[in-house]
Amino acid sequence: MEIKSTDRDDFRLVYDANYHLLVQVIMHIVYNLEVAEDLTQEAFERFYVKNMTFPSEDDAKYWLLRVAKNLALNHVRRNKREGEMVEKVKHMPHAAQDDRDGEREAIDAENRREVRAAIEALPENLRMVIQLREFSGLDYKSIARVLGISETNVKVRVFRARKKLEEALGSEERDVY
Amino acid sequence: MCIDAQMLSAYLDGELKEPYRTQVEEHLEHCPACRNHIADMKAVGDRMRESDYKAEVLNRRKDDIFQMLDRKYFQDGKKVSFIRRRFEISMPSLVTAAAAVVFIFVGGFMFFGSSSEQTADILPAFAVQADSSNIRYVSDEATLDNFTLEEILRYLDDKGYNVDISLKGLQPLETVKAE
Repeated sequence: MEIKSTDRDDFRLVYDANYHLLVQVIMHIVYNLEVAEDLTQEAFERFYVKNMTFPSEDDAKYWLLRVAKNLALNHVRRNKREGEMVEKVKHMPHAAQDDRDGEREAIDAENRREVRAAIEALPENLRMVIQLREFSGLDYKSIARVLGISETNVKVRVFRARKKLEEALGSEERDVY
Repeated sequence: MCIDAQMLSAYLDGELKEPYRTQVEEHLEHCPACRNHIADMKAVGDRMRESDYKAEVLNRRKDDIFQMLDRKYFQDGKKVSFIRRRFEISMPSLVTAAAAVVFIFVGGFMFFGSSSEQTADILPAFAVQADSSNIRYVSDEATLDNFTLEEILRYLDDKGYNVDISLKGLQPLETVKAE
């Protein structure tokens, strides 16, 4: 189905289908929910303002993902020198939970910290691919379209990212058990 | 011999095409090493997803942001700014529009004449002034259009000019040229 970005029904459709995906992708780059929400909004505004017609819903999705990814990476680059690490950690969202979930939450937070460190240690070209694969659940074809690389290249990068993450996370796991 | 790890990774993602997929499945049945390898890769993915933010956290402002964009681009954008645009007519175009109205009004009298009776029907108060005798045509000013060619030629002749007139596309006769 053709998607016109300035048509209200089409816009609503694309927004509902992709909001979570965009905020998630951005969040795993900027690690700050307020910033992720602002950038997600920015991506959808660009979608409207661009006034484009997409051949299909998927094409609109790939376009939005590209914009979201670039907005997030630009944001990180801009803020890198400001050494925002402390701020970022402070802004990490904690899902409001009851006290009895406190322990579970602490384990989650620990896991999150480790995974994040492992992902941040990946080179950028591997990082986006594995995030789109594991967090967003995109298939190789979609990832290839978003990043403008071949499917074979996606396959190679997913594998390399997995190998590096296994090294970073797997060894710790063995220490624990 | 065991299967290439990259192939296992693609198999895990369901991206392996036949006949490789069947081959990998058959191999996995009797190879614990490869099964473990796949399990390890899967575990990495599981840990990543476990560390993911909860949907309700990520989506907390989904509706707010949509409302905001909807107001900005689809409601305000269509209704209010349409009205606003009507008030935002630029000065030159306003002047042009006014001039056009005046032209049509005055032009009406110019082209269709102005009998007092007709005018009285439309604009009673204006009827007295708009009588033909009171209207001085703007085009009565002395321009070349108001003189015939003959008059113009006679005038120029009086002034001592030697005027040569030729008609476009007409060649003078040879006999005349010979004289």
